[in-house]
Amino acid sequence: MSAFIEDNAPVIVQGMTGHQGMTHTLRMLKAGTNIVGGVNPRKAGTTVLFEGAHDGEDVHIPVYATCAEAKEATGAKASVVFVPPRFAKDAVVEAIEAGIELIVVITEGIPVNDSAYFVELALSRGVRIVGPNCPGLMTLGESEHARGVNLGIIPDGIVSRGPLGLVSKSGTLTYQMMAELSDIGFTACLGAGGDPIVGTMLREALQEFEQDDDTKAVIMIGEIGGKAEQEAAQWAHDHMTKPVVAYIAGFTAPEGKQMGHAGAIISGGKGTAQDKKEALEAVGIPVGKTPSEAARLMREVLAQLS
Amino acid sequence: MDLYEYQARELLQEAGIPTPEAIYARNVEEVVEALPSMGLPAVIKGQAKIGHRGQAGAVRLVRTVEEAKAAAEHILPMSIQGHEINGVLVAQAKDIRNEYYVSISVDRSTRSFCVLATSQGGTEVEQIAQEQPDAVKRLHISKLEDFDQAAALDMAAQIGFEDADVAQAGDILYRMWQCFTTNDATLVEINPLANVADEDGNLTLCALDAKVSLDGNAAFRHDGWQRFTDTRVADTLEARAQAAGMHYVHLDGQVGVIGNGAGLVMSSIDAVTFAGRAQGNGISAANFLDIGGGASAEAMCRSLETVLADPKVESVFINVYGGITSCEQVALGILQAIEELGVSKPLVVRFDGNAASEGLRILRESKLDTVHVAETMEQAATQAVSLAASVLHNTEETK
Repeated sequence: MSAFIEDNAPVIVQGMTGHQGMTHTLRMLKAGTNIVGGVNPRKAGTTVLFEGAHDGEDVHIPVYATCAEAKEATGAKASVVFVPPRFAKDAVVEAIEAGIELIVVITEGIPVNDSAYFVELALSRGVRIVGPNCPGLMTLGESEHARGVNLGIIPDGIVSRGPLGLVSKSGTLTYQMMAELSDIGFTACLGAGGDPIVGTMLREALQEFEQDDDTKAVIMIGEIGGKAEQEAAQWAHDHMTKPVVAYIAGFTAPEGKQMGHAGAIISGGKGTAQDKKEALEAVGIPVGKTPSEAARLMREVLAQLS
Repeated sequence: MDLYEYQARELLQEAGIPTPEAIYARNVEEVVEALPSMGLPAVIKGQAKIGHRGQAGAVRLVRTVEEAKAAAEHILPMSIQGHEINGVLVAQAKDIRNEYYVSISVDRSTRSFCVLATSQGGTEVEQIAQEQPDAVKRLHISKLEDFDQAAALDMAAQIGFEDADVAQAGDILYRMWQCFTTNDATLVEINPLANVADEDGNLTLCALDAKVSLDGNAAFRHDGWQRFTDTRVADTLEARAQAAGMHYVHLDGQVGVIGNGAGLVMSSIDAVTFAGRAQGNGISAANFLDIGGGASAEAMCRSLETVLADPKVESVFINVYGGITSCEQVALGILQAIEELGVSKPLVVRFDGNAASEGLRILRESKLDTVHVAETMEQAATQAVSLAASVLHNTEETK
């Protein structure tokens, strides 16, 4: 059992037949993810060939008309969404209604009015959403027989299983940090996403890692904007037994400018990296001002654990 | 995307929220033309996308045409903290009895929409919230529930618009929510929502000032927000890059920064500024530019072109951690840019991840002495800063 989702869990891909969907479904299959179907009403009943996708063997993935059909036929537990922004809300709502337990939304550029709706709907149904605007979720399975899942676009092969959990608001910084700590290894790496409203906030990822026996410490990557880092830190201080180390991006970012991510903006003097660093340190969470400093702090924390 | 007050006012009007009579004027002549239909006294309000315009002297009450002209002549050339005034709003002056503050915004923490209200409008709501937390009401609207007239009236009663017509306050709240959702706003703020008296002493609520921010991600549903395009800034480097689909933010330093992924680019900008501080030369990042995931050689080439269009840039730091992006493609894009654009400024490249070794090999084999390769992000930032500093130093000496 890994954090967030069971090993070998069956997974469907919404938007699989598009360019992004095809590229990343092949990658996810090669990483060992148990992908059992795609969803596209216009291509229902067909199959899609992914050459050499599973240990060098070709894989044919069936396409279903709806999430409900796909779930009925395959028992899918999770869905990865690559649907373009204008159709994303309907796609996620469909997955929630079909009873999919974990929905990873990779799509960037979804209007916040839409994500607010599907995130609230998911919360009311006890469904976990990861994202939107995130690199996805990767778990590292316990063994060859209990393979982890790679849901989204996190590159396979950077890390292997180890005692760390990772949660991040950014994609490439996730990979950077995975690489910095690759010798130690991870149970799971979760990209929470860079939008103002996300299905799994930093705090909720910490909750999950706290409950996962194999995770011994968590590295958290935040950035300017909002106060999700402070909320996570307060929760960690009040409830967590495991150490957390953080990195925050954007110490030198200017006020009032959106730095790429829809949520990465300092407004009215609020949401600065320095404020976040101070708030985290006040509750005992060490914060690096660069990714490599955070990685070094994590090594120090781990040394004290053993 | 933030709107000017006069644009926000348009959206409130469309939603049926009472606002004072007002005309937007771009110059003194238009101000004078607007006056007869407004009557005197009137208020001349400088338009800029920043708060505290009153304190900055950009809002004036005028009683005569002469005063109106003088106010316009004073306000139009102003800029407030770097924000140029873009025209003025000539508005009817109102007999104000009380002022309230009401806003609807996206609430990241509760993942719903927050209604913030206080009977002490007209000033900074954050300040009131700090000094008298009980004076500010914080309520929520869920996307799953239908926020109808009855719900809005109920909320208005909870907020307690003393001295005002609660039924009208409820109607305004309902219309604010309509304005928020139909326009895909992230903020609709009325401050002050004033209780004003007419000639007979009857009191009604009226939105005297408003701030609206729109969700850039929803532009596809609103014809690209063309009606709100700011022609004044349309020709800046930033506007041109954004029109070409790039995530580019101008920052005014000397080291251009290009990377893949918003977080990594922010991190790279930090690294450059930290290196500038460590070297004591005050060098900092010139821009933020995220080439996104899976960028092609062509996209990389165009990115370099954009960054180098800024005349202050003396060196460029290219930081790529290849996930979907192939460092090989990025390397080819760099060489393409050097050839096509005749780039002579030094470039410092740091690659890791997908096809990093292929990318580095391509750069090494090019044998270009303007292309430097660094092992880590910090080393690359330090080198880019030193290179920019030495160019600037040499220029100083030649002078």
